Amino acid sequence: MTDSEIMETITSIFRMVLKRENIILTETTTAGEVEGWDSLTNMTLMAETERHFGIRFSFREIMKLRNIGDLCRLVSEKTGERD
Amino acid sequence: MAFISIGFAVLTGICFILYYMLPARCRKYVLLAASCIFVGYSNTMFLAAAVSVSIFTYCAGIILDSGWGKRRQGIVFWSSVGLLLFCWTGFRYAGTLTGWTGIIFPLGISFYTFQAVSYLTEIYWGEEKAERDLPAFMLYMMLFMKFLAGPIERPSDLLPQIRKGGSPSYGMMSYGMKLIVVGLFKKLALADHIAPYIDNIFASAHTASGVQLLMASLLYPIELYADFSGYTDMAIGTAMLFGIRLSDNFRQPFFACTTADFWRRWHMSLSFWVRDYIYVPLTSVTRGWGHWGVAMSLITTFVILGIWHGAGWTFVIYGLIQGIVILWETHTSGTRNRVRELMGGRIFSAVSAVRTYLIFAFSLIFFRSPSVRDALYFISNISFRADSSWKEMNIGMSDHVCIVAGAALVLMWAYDFFMSRNDLLEKLGKSPAPVRWAVYYLVTILILAYGKIGTENFIYLQF
Repeated sequence: MTDSEIMETITSIFRMVLKRENIILTETTTAGEVEGWDSLTNMTLMAETERHFGIRFSFREIMKLRNIGDLCRLVSEKTGERD
Repeated sequence: MAFISIGFAVLTGICFILYYMLPARCRKYVLLAASCIFVGYSNTMFLAAAVSVSIFTYCAGIILDSGWGKRRQGIVFWSSVGLLLFCWTGFRYAGTLTGWTGIIFPLGISFYTFQAVSYLTEIYWGEEKAERDLPAFMLYMMLFMKFLAGPIERPSDLLPQIRKGGSPSYGMMSYGMKLIVVGLFKKLALADHIAPYIDNIFASAHTASGVQLLMASLLYPIELYADFSGYTDMAIGTAMLFGIRLSDNFRQPFFACTTADFWRRWHMSLSFWVRDYIYVPLTSVTRGWGHWGVAMSLITTFVILGIWHGAGWTFVIYGLIQGIVILWETHTSGTRNRVRELMGGRIFSAVSAVRTYLIFAFSLIFFRSPSVRDALYFISNISFRADSSWKEMNIGMSDHVCIVAGAALVLMWAYDFFMSRNDLLEKLGKSPAPVRWAVYYLVTILILAYGKIGTENFIYLQF
């Protein structure tokens, strides 16, 4: 899976979970910049990402994520390991 | 030692002079000596408890950071945190649960124990290194201006400042002084004026009229906010005199449009603590359960936040209400967005802020009542009905108190409103000297003339 495909899939997950069709994500997007992405929705977003890509993040990995770029890289790493 | 007292002013004054007179390397020792005097002033047992917890946490931190394997680290971490929480729970709840009155509850223990847990968790998670400088660590735990009721500081925020040794600019000191005055104003001109009357209604709910119960429940959040944020302003302001920036604890909470947003603005150092160390790990474990995982984590977190305040079902229900309301809000966000579009942003925000305030005021009836039965009696008897005259609405306050407290409330709300848009204190610092000094004199005269001088207690000292 290419980086742009991962970004596209994560964007669609965010739009579905946060119920907002206008969400546009970039590598540098952080939680503060996306309406509705807060501590209440963060784990749902992570769980949905895990379910969609068929991977599992550790608690430490989730805690270390600082922006969407970090999440994409982690997904890429995990799907690469799996394949 | 009381926070608003001659003793505290003298201690801070002497500490301030020595802090800047002695070489920079002595600064942390000056602050530590002042902190020890402050903590041990009324009871040396309080000092012994704080020093013991600090030294224990310091040693546990070094062991945790000594490069042992993950399994051994886990044993050290869980046993240390378990012991800290066991001691805290013992002091906190043993008296209430066993009825034994011989237990002295050490001042500030809820706050410094949570700081200790935060410190050990950050080391365990690999986010922080153990502090090797014992005096610096003792200051992190016992710094006198935040010792009694927080803010609950994180090691990454406070320890680097202590290590560096504060060298504040004149602007920072001036800002700190202004914050102290704002805190004094909130406490003396508002909280302490209305507190006795609200206390009286809660203490005699069975003889109060419906409208008195209504007014007391509506005014209690204001009293609590003026009291606790007043204390926090003074703590943050005093720390600024020594070049230390403590964490924010309040950010205009009564402008929050949802209860979730309210908890990002109210007692932030505690709500962020429970979020980071209880809610986030819990949701991580239960994230496979979908909405049920979030619901369970949220309710558990807020129940813990509730019982942090004390043993008893009243605090459990207080926390439960917050959790249930936030859960309801997360499930109705779509409807809320549609209503916002229909009503318009401003009207919707105003209505939502009132709704959030009323929910919080309702939950505080449990927080403030001695038992669930009393709280239920209080709630079931709230009405607009007066026993004899509509004047009962003033819950016994004289016209003078009503006017002073009412004016102070308007000023506090105006201050919060402008602070939410601009830093009013910074703006004041940049205004022409005559305007600045006129405001300084005016506020000082208002506090001296209308403040209820002679008070020593803050609501959150009991926690």
